[in-house]
Amino acid sequence: MFYFRVFLMSLRSLLMHPLRTALATLGVIIGVAAVVAAMSILEGMKASFTDSFSTIGTNTLFVTPAQQRRSGRSVANFDTLKLDDCEALVRECPKLKNATPQIMSGGMVKFLSKNTQASVLGTDEQYSEVNSYKPEQGRFVDKTDVLSESSVVVLGHKVKEDLFGGRPAIGESVKVSGLLGVRTFKVVGVMEKKGNLGFTDVDNQVIVPITTAMNKLYGMKSVSFIIAQAVTPEQADIDGAKEQIKRLLRKRHKLRPGVSDDFSVQAQEEILAQFSTFQQIIAVVLGSISIISLLVGGIGIMNIMLVAVTERTREIGVRMAMGAKRTDVLLQFVIEASVVSFLGGAMGVLAGWGMGTMIERLTRIFETLTTASSVTMALGMATVTGLMSGIYPAFKASRLDPIEALRYE
Amino acid sequence: MKTVIQIRRLTKHYHMGDTVVQALDGVDLDIAEGEYVAITGASGSGKSTMMHLLGCLDRPTSGTYELDGDLVSSMSDAQLAVIRNRKIGFVFQTFNLIQRTSAVENVAVPLFYGRQTRVQEPSLLALRRVGLEQRAWHKPNELSGGERQRVAIARAIVNNPRLLLADEPTGNLDSKNGRAIMEVFNELNRAGVTIALVTHEMAVAAQARRIIRMVDGKIIEDAVVTDAVRRELLGGGHYHGDAATSSHPPAIDSAAPTSATPPVAAKSIPMARKATAPPPAENGEDGSGGEHPTSGSRHRGFVETPKP
Repeated sequence: MFYFRVFLMSLRSLLMHPLRTALATLGVIIGVAAVVAAMSILEGMKASFTDSFSTIGTNTLFVTPAQQRRSGRSVANFDTLKLDDCEALVRECPKLKNATPQIMSGGMVKFLSKNTQASVLGTDEQYSEVNSYKPEQGRFVDKTDVLSESSVVVLGHKVKEDLFGGRPAIGESVKVSGLLGVRTFKVVGVMEKKGNLGFTDVDNQVIVPITTAMNKLYGMKSVSFIIAQAVTPEQADIDGAKEQIKRLLRKRHKLRPGVSDDFSVQAQEEILAQFSTFQQIIAVVLGSISIISLLVGGIGIMNIMLVAVTERTREIGVRMAMGAKRTDVLLQFVIEASVVSFLGGAMGVLAGWGMGTMIERLTRIFETLTTASSVTMALGMATVTGLMSGIYPAFKASRLDPIEALRYE
Repeated sequence: MKTVIQIRRLTKHYHMGDTVVQALDGVDLDIAEGEYVAITGASGSGKSTMMHLLGCLDRPTSGTYELDGDLVSSMSDAQLAVIRNRKIGFVFQTFNLIQRTSAVENVAVPLFYGRQTRVQEPSLLALRRVGLEQRAWHKPNELSGGERQRVAIARAIVNNPRLLLADEPTGNLDSKNGRAIMEVFNELNRAGVTIALVTHEMAVAAQARRIIRMVDGKIIEDAVVTDAVRRELLGGGHYHGDAATSSHPPAIDSAAPTSATPPVAAKSIPMARKATAPPPAENGEDGSGGEHPTSGSRHRGFVETPKP
């Protein structure tokens, strides 16, 4: 009851100066909003990433061109993986079930007067199986398409919706722009609705045969990466497959012993682990920014509490004369500071949630996810900030000499 | 009558830079239940220090102070806060109400710190005692000066304190409101409340039933105010209405010598020397057979200027 009254009392004194209180909370609002927005972006990224990787399967291996170091600097080397390498992998590695090459780029897809920006994926017939991603209508790119470099295209769900709406798309011609110019493709299939696969929103993607992409759209001699699947998800098979891939590619690339690989092979788990490191880095960066803004917010609150203590010196003297213990005075100001920052925190949560949603709408890269735990954490941090910044002014108030305080003008 | 206050050889020293100020210099004082005491003196006489010590806002340098049987002179800050809360009511010159809350909430402050659950009823009751119940929900800035001081008095008595301490309670009021406030004190005293009033105004002090005069941290006069004295002091024109608001209110030391009539002391005011000796129990301790140790320095007349 006593504490509740102290709480009401502090609420009241805060409402005496609404503008001042609002300005004091601003720092905390921004800090908490930053925490909540950062957390929801991180959580959203994690969720979509884990989600899309779970559909890929734990037996998946990613073969990419290696980052090479030249005079200390990291230089990307894009042209080490050839289409032949991929065929050789399937043929000569017994631990591999399949392997599919990919080229990724972006381009404009046009149908009559309508056009849309989409990612363009060049791949082969195994992509669909490797990613368990199936066509909804028509067919996927097949082996003949790849061998004959035919100009066929399979549209992602969203691309189809954007260009054709409810009308059938199979058999229609669309134009796809690449580095070598604009080419006309015949729509042979429409993919099911899938969402994200890895970092790509595959619904907003068109798929063409890899040979067509390399030779007719982009003029590339190598592939971006190869996705392979080990025969089983057993660790031994994954390690075996990795070993076989390395040995084969080193032989094919004629690398002498001592020369480092010009490619890298990573299992799905390693990618996830890498992502989690990446995520931790982002978390540390965003976390530091948030902590700094909360610190600034805390300074704002401390400042306003110091003003309040000076302003109410006489009142403190009166309260002490009426029997307020030093701890009562301490409590009054600590609670007041905590209430300010909690209110700021609550507003910050709303603002942060709004910011997250806005970022999601604007960027459309990933969904954001505001979890109960991040809200609780943000509110907790705000309240702790209030407590920390309220303690010194409150202590100052509680140490006042009642006689001096009563004389204060 | 039960003793409420028993003070023995109380001293209080302040350090101001390198010099030590002796604000109180071995004071002995007893106040019994139901007494109405005015403590007077010029500024620097130690009456404010006396007030702070009586009000348990401060601790003495040496000596003892028993309030209602508790040896408060050696208590901790927290214990003193409890004593102030339960046993002392303060009335200040500047009212010292909390501006943002209503009268009744101001009155409830001591109950609040006393961790009491029922606050509104006793607060309204206290306001009724000072005749301000109908203004209970007004904020201080909606009340007149006199009304504010009544609220302050209600706040001081809401806990039924053993001692009501008032510091120049009429100092910020006009004569009419000042008189009304003094009437409230008289009324409370008649109802049994023990009052100690600190003032430099003789006319205000004359309302009390016992006057203690302080000079240089010592009690130099301790006398009962008879009706005759009161008439003399009130009728003598010293309590002129706007005394309180004038820049130089007639102070005890200056009023009489400057008056046209011969000093009151010369007329030998029939002011009875305070006859009540300390209760027998203390006589032994005192070792002075009922006389206060300060009695040697006592002056007969009330308004005589003491020689340093």
